[in-house]
Amino acid sequence: MAPSIPLTINNRQIYADAGDTVYTAAANAGIAIPSLCASAQLSPYGSCRLCVCEIDGMKGLHASCSMPVRAGMTVRTESDQLTKHRRNLVELYLSERPAGQRLEQLADLAKAYGVTEVRYPPGAERAPIVDDSSPFFTFDNQRCISCARCVRACDEIQPAFAVSLVGAGFAVRPAWGAAGLDGGGGVASSTCVSCGACVKECPTGALTEKTILQEGPPTTFVRTTCAYCGVGCALEAGLRDGRVVSMTPADDGPANHGHACLKGRFGWTYNYAKDRITEPLLREGSSWKRAGWDEALDFIARSFSRLKDEAGPDAVAAISSSRGTNEENYLFGKFIRCVMGTNHIDNCARVCHSATVTGMMETFGASAATNSIRDLDAAKLILVAGANPTESHPVLGAKLLQLARRGVPLIVIDPRRTEIARAATVHLQLRPGTNVALLNGLGHVIAAEGLVDQAFVEARTEGFADWQSTVEEYPPDRVADLTGVPADAIRRAAVMYATSGASLSVHGLGMTEHRWGSHGVMALCNLALATGNVGRPGTGINPLRGQNNVQGASDSGCLPTHYVGYQRLNDPAVAARHQTITGRPLPSRRGMKIPDMWDAALEGRLKGLWIIGYDVAQTDPNLNKVRAALARLECLVVQDLFMSQTAKFAHVVLPGASFLEKDGTFTNLERRIQRIRKAVDPPNGILPDWQVVCEVSTRMGYPMRYGHPSEIMAEMAALSPMLAGVSYERLEQPAGLQWPVPDPQHPGTALMHEERFARGNGRFVAVDYLPPGEEPTPDYPFVLITGRLLEHYNCGAQTRRTDIIHLVDSDVLEVHPEDAARLGLRDGDLVRLVSARSSAVLPARASSRVRPGELFTTFHFPDSDVNSLLSSSADDSSKCPEYKVSTVRIERLDDDEELDPEDEAERRRVHSRLGMVP
Amino acid sequence: MPLRIYLSNDTSARAAGAERLAEAWAREPELEVVRTSSRGAFFLEPLVERDTPEGRLLWPQARPDDLPRIRAGDGGVPLSRIPFLAEQQRAVFANFGTAEPLSLAHYQRHGGWRGSERAMGLSPEELISEMKRSGLRGRGGAAFPVWHKWDIARRTEADQKYVVANADEGDAGTYCDRMIMEGEPFRLIEGMLICAKAIGANRGYVYCRWEYPAAAMTMQRAVAEAERAGRLAVDGRPFRLEVFRGAGSYVCGEETALLSSLEGGRGMVKVRPPYPAVSGLYGKPTVVSNVLTFATVTEILARGADWHASLGTATSKGTIALQLGGRIKQPGLVEIPFGATLAEVLERFGGGMADGSRFKAVQVGGPLGSLFPESRLEIPLCFDAFNEAGAVLGHGGIVVFDKETDMVELARHYMTFTAEESCGKCTPCRIGSARGRELLERIEAGRGTAGDLALLADLGETMKATSLCAHGGRAPYPVLTALEHFRDEFTRRFSHGAVHPAHH
Repeated sequence: MAPSIPLTINNRQIYADAGDTVYTAAANAGIAIPSLCASAQLSPYGSCRLCVCEIDGMKGLHASCSMPVRAGMTVRTESDQLTKHRRNLVELYLSERPAGQRLEQLADLAKAYGVTEVRYPPGAERAPIVDDSSPFFTFDNQRCISCARCVRACDEIQPAFAVSLVGAGFAVRPAWGAAGLDGGGGVASSTCVSCGACVKECPTGALTEKTILQEGPPTTFVRTTCAYCGVGCALEAGLRDGRVVSMTPADDGPANHGHACLKGRFGWTYNYAKDRITEPLLREGSSWKRAGWDEALDFIARSFSRLKDEAGPDAVAAISSSRGTNEENYLFGKFIRCVMGTNHIDNCARVCHSATVTGMMETFGASAATNSIRDLDAAKLILVAGANPTESHPVLGAKLLQLARRGVPLIVIDPRRTEIARAATVHLQLRPGTNVALLNGLGHVIAAEGLVDQAFVEARTEGFADWQSTVEEYPPDRVADLTGVPADAIRRAAVMYATSGASLSVHGLGMTEHRWGSHGVMALCNLALATGNVGRPGTGINPLRGQNNVQGASDSGCLPTHYVGYQRLNDPAVAARHQTITGRPLPSRRGMKIPDMWDAALEGRLKGLWIIGYDVAQTDPNLNKVRAALARLECLVVQDLFMSQTAKFAHVVLPGASFLEKDGTFTNLERRIQRIRKAVDPPNGILPDWQVVCEVSTRMGYPMRYGHPSEIMAEMAALSPMLAGVSYERLEQPAGLQWPVPDPQHPGTALMHEERFARGNGRFVAVDYLPPGEEPTPDYPFVLITGRLLEHYNCGAQTRRTDIIHLVDSDVLEVHPEDAARLGLRDGDLVRLVSARSSAVLPARASSRVRPGELFTTFHFPDSDVNSLLSSSADDSSKCPEYKVSTVRIERLDDDEELDPEDEAERRRVHSRLGMVP
Repeated sequence: MPLRIYLSNDTSARAAGAERLAEAWAREPELEVVRTSSRGAFFLEPLVERDTPEGRLLWPQARPDDLPRIRAGDGGVPLSRIPFLAEQQRAVFANFGTAEPLSLAHYQRHGGWRGSERAMGLSPEELISEMKRSGLRGRGGAAFPVWHKWDIARRTEADQKYVVANADEGDAGTYCDRMIMEGEPFRLIEGMLICAKAIGANRGYVYCRWEYPAAAMTMQRAVAEAERAGRLAVDGRPFRLEVFRGAGSYVCGEETALLSSLEGGRGMVKVRPPYPAVSGLYGKPTVVSNVLTFATVTEILARGADWHASLGTATSKGTIALQLGGRIKQPGLVEIPFGATLAEVLERFGGGMADGSRFKAVQVGGPLGSLFPESRLEIPLCFDAFNEAGAVLGHGGIVVFDKETDMVELARHYMTFTAEESCGKCTPCRIGSARGRELLERIEAGRGTAGDLALLADLGETMKATSLCAHGGRAPYPVLTALEHFRDEFTRRFSHGAVHPAHH
């Protein structure tokens, strides 16, 4: 709706929105009012008073930042008296700073108001306090103006409450840490999550990134998209002398609205890590030979040609990177189909959200978020199912915390008491592996209490009766026995979800990475169908995709089951279009999924494998099997930024270009296609992955010639109805495009299934509870859950090579305090986790985030080898591995037990961090 | 029958020696000492009273050895013979001196609960129209029409609303709120219940300043008593009332800072709008009013709006509770209708200057109030006249200074107070008050210049015009009025250094 409230500012008639203040209305109309403490991201505060204005009919002056607009009001923002007062205020700011200090942002104001000297006699100055304890930024009190934008950002945007004002009167200043009124141990001792919101809000440079202090402020900016999680934060890469020196979230970023997390904001310095691979490497026995690009590319082309000739197309497979661009993924798919002639291509989505793909395809007919991130604001209730967004999708997690503070009810389904669970109205703390039972229990209550949306069910769905008779078998008391969740909580959550008016679900790997993950997703979709919570703003089923482009990698056709745009491999029309555009036939037989590839390699059927940007030898489950499979390959090609665990098995290692070094697009968890832009040159002339694929393809007799990724996107648009309206020209807009975009005029799709489901009717798929792959036994009495920490990302290859390592430098086993006491474990003790597959040595810590009998850890560090403990158990239909349930036992390591050097180093590191005397 | 005598339990009376008497007479046979509220005539404390067939007799400034005289009835003075008390028109404070603070029976016998009982029979709209007709304006300083605030809170839809009594009576020389809480606490509770009925609130807080331990204790007991007696209910629903003690910050008397403190945060001022009546405690509609305002509401409901509207001036209805202090003969509480002049009050009730001292200036409205020299004392005590004069009645505090007072030191003292009590949120107050204090320190030390006075005036204008709340906005007034009326005391310091004016 267009602004409709008329008012006059400086003799100009403008129109404002109902929520506007004079300040925001003026800003929208291009009228600048000076201010230091106002921010579009924060509520009005009224500290600097520079924005005072005159309003007809009102006595005195009024701060425009806190004055709501009123129809017909007449405002003046410039006058002699206003100028005089602003001048005096700027002079006051200058008077509290030590003489000779650089004025930074205050300099412009001093110039504008002609403050050339401070008239006051020398008096009190700001205390010389510096907080240098964060690895990422510094606070200098003498450059601060006590406007509390940092405090407000920490409260309102992140809500972390790490910084507050301390002191009184003149001495008021922000301080981090919790030790008394003088401020305490600084940022490092506080609840700071290093999101950097305070630094971004600081108007004077009192808070500054350390990279900027070291290398100088950026002189130009390049707009790009974060390459960590699936939220898809828009970032501005700050450049100076051809190097990145800062990374700032963009205010008009459609997914992040000016916010970021520590990984996106500060976790990019791996780009300059000393151990980046900068030239191709060829295996020579047990060591490596540096090779030129031509030599390496020729070798790859020759090897794959030979394998194809000798053993047929099925002897070669490819695993694409969910971190790479859409264009690279598409091209890799094109290579495997047009050059090799198979559909043996998969991507990391297999091990995270493939169960979502299966589950949502069956029920809704499309396997992506039904709604948009902005819909969180329209939701009246949010269900967080098996997701840990404050750590894994921090910007979205911060949004959820904001909503919880605003009173929006949250239901959290998670075996662990995570940060978001603590903020929940109802936390359904279920036994790992019992999602289906719990969701059916919710369904039971909804059906039994007459809370089904009959009109929706009749008009838009099929299969209801099946579902109804299935959930009938799941009364709350039975479900309480199966899941460990009290029956009352089940009833309460079910009623809340069904009656809120708009219930939006987000789910994560806690739903999918199970023996029956697809069933869990279906059970979740069933609830949305039964209550009419889909197809409207503020509702829906929204998978939180883990990697920056895991959505796009699947969209682009890096699936053994679907072609670009989720088109069927056996559809003659698709095949014909493929033939026309690519000049080659589309292989129609389904290819191998990643776990199938390991079996095929072990059996000798698969001989060649090309992996781009995916460390299977650290992150896939049952690592001993994966490693054995990799070792059997005749030709393994790995492209990566660093010498990953997987690369160690390779015959050829090619260096990769980072997201800062190439052009392309990523698709975020709300189906939003956004640009990444080349900000800096890759080191040593490294080729981006798309060019590598082109080179190999051309050498194998199928020339691929593209001048720029935009040409690749044009080809994808021509091949896929879902992407038909996408072009780089249109992607220049800050909002990008949300697929489906069926034609060049189509605005994109923020909300799916509005009139009809992608498959026509929504389909209830009745599913029964089945037990997880493993249940505790006397030998393996604990259930191990694996997951992520805020600080690190997946295999940690990037985050471990940044200053984030100063925050967390080891995987840690979380043990419930009762279990820890029973086992005699002190924080920091090394333990050996033993499963039927393998064992791993980790430091343990007592934590009530887990329940007795359950354990949690991460696999961010290769040393701990956590994934070797896991089995190959996976979801039946999608092959999504069961990362969330493994049974193990804990063995204490005696202090004098001899360890291998890696574990011994770990023990020393942990002990020194905990301040323990060895 | 033992002899009943009455002795105030008010903090001021105790400070004047009431406790010494109570201790001395504790084991006296045939004597019952009843502790009461104070009449507010502090120059007469410790004041002992007893009943006689002709009414109360008073023994001012009693000593322990006066007991035989009191028993005998010798030397007692009837109330009518004490003009300070006899000439007041007390309404809110009518029972002060006789009221027994925690006696529900006494309160009931002397008109207690009539106001709230009547209110419970009226609709919220009727209550608000009653307040509108009464013309009651807030007594905390801002003088906002009470009915209007209530009406906004009533009209704002919310699942929860609050009534908060501002008992952070921080102005030096003011004490009427403390007297109410220590002397007739049920009167405050009643006023809050009436407000709760009008706006639809079921929770209330009394925000009592840290420095009032006895008042907080009495209020807490009174709340418990009222609850036990089933009085804490509105429309059949319980009204939960709690007493909250502040942490010693002057600026928490400002309503938004008070609410921040009550929420457990730093006592820092917030921008308005939204006003608390729309979004106050925990973001819910909240009526924050001064203790005296609520106490007056009780009286208005008991006696009717017309009674209240018949007193005072056209725009300042009802009575004003003045609290006289400083170098006058008769410091104490004076309740009279609005409209008398400052000179009249000082003479008639204050009894003129204390022995041996000569008048120099009077400050009205607390530490942020303006100074009046002798030539300006004909100003009527009402909101409009003070507004026109650029002054404030504030909370009714009046402090008289004599010729011994060093106006430079006084001005420096005020700016120091402002700087020390600033919440530090807005720049003109946070930095401006520090700079103002430094300028005045320099002048006081004899190192000032004419330029410093000009700078002080310039700073004062910016503080007045741009400060976030009245703390910074009013801070320049005592300084600038001192400068206006006693400029030579400032300029004299330029060349002569620090010299006490009495030595000239």
